Amino acid sequence: MNDNVLRVGIGGPVGTGKTALTEALVPLFLAAGRTPGVITNDIYTQEDALHVRRELAGIISPECVIGVETGACPHTAVRDDPTMNLAAGEEMLERFPQIDTLIYESGGDNLTLTFSPALADVFVFVLDTSNGQKMPRKGGPGITESDILVINKVDIAQYVRTDLEVMERDAHAVREGRPVILTNALEGMGVQKLCDTIIARWEAQRGRNVA
Amino acid sequence: MVTPKDASGPASLLISLQLSDSAFPSGFYAMSHGLEGFHQQGLVDGDTIGDLLEDILVRTAGPGDATALARTHGAAVRQDWDHVAELDRLLFASKLNSELRRSSTRSGRQLIDIVSEAYAGTHGGDDIATWAEWVRSRRTPGCQAIATGVCYAATGVAVEQAVVSDLFAFAISFAGAALRLRLTDHRSTQKLLRRVQPVIEEVAADAVARPEADIGGFTPVGDIMSAGHERAPARLFTS
Repeated sequence: MNDNVLRVGIGGPVGTGKTALTEALVPLFLAAGRTPGVITNDIYTQEDALHVRRELAGIISPECVIGVETGACPHTAVRDDPTMNLAAGEEMLERFPQIDTLIYESGGDNLTLTFSPALADVFVFVLDTSNGQKMPRKGGPGITESDILVINKVDIAQYVRTDLEVMERDAHAVREGRPVILTNALEGMGVQKLCDTIIARWEAQRGRNVA
Repeated sequence: MVTPKDASGPASLLISLQLSDSAFPSGFYAMSHGLEGFHQQGLVDGDTIGDLLEDILVRTAGPGDATALARTHGAAVRQDWDHVAELDRLLFASKLNSELRRSSTRSGRQLIDIVSEAYAGTHGGDDIATWAEWVRSRRTPGCQAIATGVCYAATGVAVEQAVVSDLFAFAISFAGAALRLRLTDHRSTQKLLRRVQPVIEEVAADAVARPEADIGGFTPVGDIMSAGHERAPARLFTS
């Protein structure tokens, strides 16, 4: 894989807004001068891939969105054996060599999901306020060790009896300084900060690797 | 580092165990090898899953991938890479549905890349690296059975053991898919794997003896199931 390709892994529980974040990030990567492609890992259908293609029609080519089946194991597909995702990424880069940013969206999973470093340079773990304010305290490698923790759907916190301040405070407490970003993906709130942080993390990694 | 000149006895067994391990990152976990298509059509259940696996081994996996692996083994031992590439194209062409071709090449390309790195500097590593470069440069499709055959030949694993090992990896992958589709449970899965062991022996012996011209099975119902599967609105597996 070309070192100049930024590979972003977006994982997290079912329904937290991974697809919405992916769709919100693509135009921002384009505005930042990057050329993104998207690989979704649907559990059972091509629903996410179709949704991304539909929402990003006219923004990126539909061929730049691929759905990959995961054999009923979304965490296996991005951690233990990322073979099929790596192959899909290589095929996309062969077909569209101008792509310099690959977004891998994992299938919805549980708190143990992590991305293989062989697949993603920057691992983003997504919670949302409806998971409950206790969720950051429950930990798990995605919450504590991902490069960026996103707490999405901040707009509905009040309706699901989640104290956002508590959720954010606990997230920072378990992450030892690693970034926590609050978003409302559908309205775009916080997504620019997420995009900037992804690029900054990647550039910092590359700087370390060069050094 | 231990670098045996050829693989025999425990050394050969260990290579087989590593490459056929269900934890080996070949992408096999994402394949059902036709099973999900039959399941979607209601043509298989817990009582008939063993019959279907036997049929697929005898009619598809044996004449197809296993035979191609056996013929590749000989060509790779001779370092006849043009012949290996011809076998790769032949096997690729014998897979009628695109999902079967895509699954095989995605697996094979990643597999040869991983093994070339893992076995670099050890016996057989140079030959594996040679084939990995053919695949990487897209001079050849990169089917899984061909890549696996090169790996076994390069490391000195005998052809019979190589074919048996890959067929058993296939059976484990199929059984794993059956488990996830709720066609088996953890006990019946092990009974299934024990049941097909003598079948694998026979299928492997036939594959080792089968000529190159006969690569590819004839399974019209399986091909129809696969054709339906690759267009199904919902599926768990790539094949």
